[in-house]
Amino acid sequence: MPTYKLSYFEGQGLGEVSRQLLHLSETPFEDDRISQEDWPKRKDSMPFAKLPVLFVDGKPLPQSLAIARYLANQFGFAGKTPFESAWVDALGDQFKDYFSEMVPYFMALGGDNEEEKSRLQLEVAEPAINKFFSILEKRAKDNGSNGHFVGDSLTWIDIHISDHMGVGEKYFPNAYAAFPTVLALREGTVSLPKLKEWIEKRPVTPY
Amino acid sequence: HSPLYNLLYSAWLSLVPSFSAMPSYKLTYFPVRARAEVARQLFYLAGVPFEDVRVPHADWPALKPKTPFGQMPLLEVDGKPLPQSYAINRYLAKEFGFAGKSPFEAAWVDAIADQFKDYNIELRPLFLVLMGFAQGDKDQLLKDVGIPARDKFFGILEKLAKDNGNNGHFVGSSLTWADLLIADHVKTVSIHLPSFLDGFPTVLDTVKKIESTPKLKEWIEKRPDTKF
Repeated sequence: MPTYKLSYFEGQGLGEVSRQLLHLSETPFEDDRISQEDWPKRKDSMPFAKLPVLFVDGKPLPQSLAIARYLANQFGFAGKTPFESAWVDALGDQFKDYFSEMVPYFMALGGDNEEEKSRLQLEVAEPAINKFFSILEKRAKDNGSNGHFVGDSLTWIDIHISDHMGVGEKYFPNAYAAFPTVLALREGTVSLPKLKEWIEKRPVTPY
Repeated sequence: HSPLYNLLYSAWLSLVPSFSAMPSYKLTYFPVRARAEVARQLFYLAGVPFEDVRVPHADWPALKPKTPFGQMPLLEVDGKPLPQSYAINRYLAKEFGFAGKSPFEAAWVDAIADQFKDYNIELRPLFLVLMGFAQGDKDQLLKDVGIPARDKFFGILEKLAKDNGNNGHFVGSSLTWADLLIADHVKTVSIHLPSFLDGFPTVLDTVKKIESTPKLKEWIEKRPDTKF
């Protein structure tokens, strides 16, 4: 078995899906958490000067979705057919688009201008959440409300979205109240025994 | 028929690709290259027929609600829809053999594509002005947005191409959809900002090699000519 090291910041963000894939598959790995203070020193050793980076037998692989997909393919969380895998990818890319729309809001959350946070929640977060989660809600329903976005087994997009929702709700309570099928999917995912176990013991971080 | 005839016929059937088993493909997008061009190129490189549907902008609003994400491009495989250009590119690349020769290589193809997507997001304000979709100060945007984004991303590509032995590919030793993605972008940049990439000679050399792939060269010569 190869040795794995996942380098990311201390939080969940874009790295947690890969940590969870490694935990779910009971694959040992080095959970390399880099503090904001240490990041400038470590930056140049990363291929794209960004995190996360996965090291497989010491060889680096950057970009969060490429990493998640690679691990998912290794461990069986990428859908059961090529077309299913492609739909998982499509949802992953739609998440990426939504995430980039949310950036101004996330940046404000990092500061202490409450007025700005409220304004951006209304003008940026709500429309972006509405657009993306409406797609997810329909997707979950069309897939038979079976607890998965694609096919009938756990995929990395179930894991990624579920984790993101946990972070979102810390700052925007009931953000996803209008999306009951997605909420049920999330509940099913985070209560999977190996995942529940990890979630209970992982470091608590702001995002 | 004689047993020999039957034997020969079965042998022939097992050798000939079964075209009736090949799915029907339809790709729907605007009448430009942009986010559908790599998929079109993959079909052409693989010699796989597909319906190349180009939707005039005026016709899009009526079509939009019928698509899964309200967006294009959209691939249909035997009528089943698949949205998101990179999901489409990767799916076709895997089917046709343009996704890298190992899982790790395929992951690096994905990583380069996603880094390109990040770069495009940074470049967007400049490109909107260049394409005439927005008003703005082109020179200011070039200085504030274009050049930093270019130096960051093309610096990475220049190193990747060099580290890969300047072999005409950004990853591995065979054509991948990341090669096609970068080559098409370089083409668009050369139309609108002629000397923009002069500082990245290995990248430009790699793109030249990519574009000289026989079937790709053929497609480039006969495809509709578009500014982006």
